[in-house]
Amino acid sequence: MAIITQQKTAERPAPISETSVLGWLRINLFSSSFNTILTLVMVFIVYLTISGVLAWGYLDATFVADKRRECYDFSLTGACWAGVIAWLDNIFYGRYPREELWRVNMGGLLLILWMIPLWISRVRGKILIGVSVIMFYPFLAGYLFTGGEKSWFMQFMVTGAFLAFFVNMANMLIGLTMNTSMDKFLLRLIGQSEAPDKTQRNILLGLVVLSFVIIFSVQSSWIVDGVSWTKWGGLFLTLVISGIGIASSLPLGIFLALGRRSKLPVVRVLSTGFIEVFRSVPLITVLFMATTMFPLFMPEGFFLNKLVQVIIAVVLFNACYMAEIVRAGLQAIPKGQFEGAHTIGLGYWGTMGLIIMPQALKHMIPNIVGNIIGLLKDTTLVSIIGLFDILGMLRSISKDVPWLGLHKEPLVFGAILFFLICFSMSKYSRHLEAKLSAGNKH
Amino acid sequence: MSEQINTGQLASAATSEQMIEINQMNKWYGDFHVLKDINLTVHKGERFVICGPSGSGKSTLIRCINALEEHQEGDIIVDGIKLGKNLKNLDHIRTEVGMVFQNFNLFPHLTILENLTLGPVWVRKMPKADAIETAMKYLERVKIPEQALKYPGQLSGGQQQRVAIARSLCMSPKIMLFDEPTSALDPEMIKEVLDVMVELADTGMTMIVVTHEMGFAKTIADEVIFMDEGDIVERNKPEAFFGNPEHERTQQFLNQIL
Ligand SMILES: Nc1ncnc2c1ncn2[C@@H]1O[C@H](COP(=O)(O)OP(=O)(O)O)[C@@H](O)[C@H]1O
Ligand SMILES: [Mg+2]
Repeated sequence: MAIITQQKTAERPAPISETSVLGWLRINLFSSSFNTILTLVMVFIVYLTISGVLAWGYLDATFVADKRRECYDFSLTGACWAGVIAWLDNIFYGRYPREELWRVNMGGLLLILWMIPLWISRVRGKILIGVSVIMFYPFLAGYLFTGGEKSWFMQFMVTGAFLAFFVNMANMLIGLTMNTSMDKFLLRLIGQSEAPDKTQRNILLGLVVLSFVIIFSVQSSWIVDGVSWTKWGGLFLTLVISGIGIASSLPLGIFLALGRRSKLPVVRVLSTGFIEVFRSVPLITVLFMATTMFPLFMPEGFFLNKLVQVIIAVVLFNACYMAEIVRAGLQAIPKGQFEGAHTIGLGYWGTMGLIIMPQALKHMIPNIVGNIIGLLKDTTLVSIIGLFDILGMLRSISKDVPWLGLHKEPLVFGAILFFLICFSMSKYSRHLEAKLSAGNKH
Repeated sequence: MSEQINTGQLASAATSEQMIEINQMNKWYGDFHVLKDINLTVHKGERFVICGPSGSGKSTLIRCINALEEHQEGDIIVDGIKLGKNLKNLDHIRTEVGMVFQNFNLFPHLTILENLTLGPVWVRKMPKADAIETAMKYLERVKIPEQALKYPGQLSGGQQQRVAIARSLCMSPKIMLFDEPTSALDPEMIKEVLDVMVELADTGMTMIVVTHEMGFAKTIADEVIFMDEGDIVERNKPEAFFGNPEHERTQQFLNQIL
């Protein structure tokens, strides 16, 4: 055997199944008579479903009516969306005073604005932004939602929140327009970019203190009316409970996971016990325990409102699941990474914080997002112990006199709402994974 | 760099200072006796090569010196500090002793430059600008300054191993340990790593190298140690060790690998 071919083999077009729709259809759907029948039956079922849903939900549906009877007058078989529409404010905000709704919207808007820079690659200082959200945003939002007199501590945190927010926004604009970070820009502005490190730091510190004082004096005269938590409800309440649950259960879960792997027996046994106990009990039980048993253990005169009890229960419960996710993520990191960190002299926290966690968290994103989605849905259980979260609100529509017996439409609406939220989260997590793994290929 | 070579030569000329002293050291993994009555003294600037069959305890020995593993009996004294349960001492040892692994163990989520500056900045508390300068100096020394902003996964094995050496050197260690640094590499990359190590030896660094690269051992080693089943079976100058091994087990081993 010597030379096999003298000419270069010419390129040929790919088989038709790879390039044309028709080819694909023939190969995948109509390859045999049995497959063809199966395909036709499936098409028929899909057609029936879609046309049925369309007729009920849109073609025959009533959108404008004052009570359920009027829906029936229009059509007996169509959906009665008018009831859902009449209750929209309740579904979203519960019984939050109608003239104060802007505060809830503002709280949501602030959070979104605060997080936008995290998605823009040209903005610097992402970690600081993340920390500032977790440290300050809850207090600002908390005050917006509850209102009333501010304690000294609250005044302090609200000022900090405004300061962090404004700095964050300015930093974003400067990053976008001038592609530099805010501190460098300010120093250049006052002609000190060549000054020694120490002077620069002092100038920046001075600016921070000055703006803090200014904001503090402005915000001290800013007071909004108090709104009791008992008026919170609907999607708003669901998002508050699950938002706090998500934000606190991840850090707590990380510590529990580290505790479970600790070399110290006491820490290990306590963490393991805690995780196993909470994981083997259903959330609804934990919720009942929190609202009925918890007060019994509290000292005389000490009183936690039901919402706080529920939030504590959700956080503890979910932290245990997070802990197991984190533990699995940690186990995926090869031993060599610990040893590499060891040889450059990093201690336990340095190794965990700089080397192990950043890599482990990347592996954990799909599971963490899965857990977040689960938590969001599980939060609806609080409607059973008498909080009017979104599910509680949807179900009260059927007890409202004009809409008596209207069950189906509100629940379908809730399902669509949940699907939209959860689906976009899972899409986002896929995007995040792809982005992170593009950064460093193994 | 020339400065470093000078001080290095001075140091190896005056080899009196003991860097590592191991006395009657024993180690077990559970019931398994891995290291048996090990005695070894390494002076400043000395280069030792350890060889021996797989499973003979070579890695375990150098990992003990770096406090990556605990020993149960006897003493290990590194740079005047006795290894034991004292955590403060351990932290100190870790920064004084650099180690290079078979699998590089670079941090895949950080760029090459970040891999190199992490230790100096977080452990040595060096200002970032200085750390970057040092890192670039060592990257030039291992001949890959142009890779500084890439991630480890984008480099070849030989380049990764040179980065790993540079990462250790950035901590300015007094002792460098190498655990089969070329065993995971394709043949054409072994030389580039060995060259870097020979240059490092020329600077007078105290080195213990586990390797089966006999040419390399002949070039740099002051002494070659042969281990088998947890014993140090034989130690000798390289010419004598390779030319005329005394112990039967050494002869068998050398016959297999040469
Ligand atoms: N963590 C461990 N636990 C139990 N046995 C181990 C462990 N690490 C190594 N060993 C055993 O100790 C012996 C020596 O291992 P090692 O020092 O890695 O050998 P070498 O590097 O010479 O190939 C081997 O038999 C190995 O199986
Ligand atoms: Mg080994």
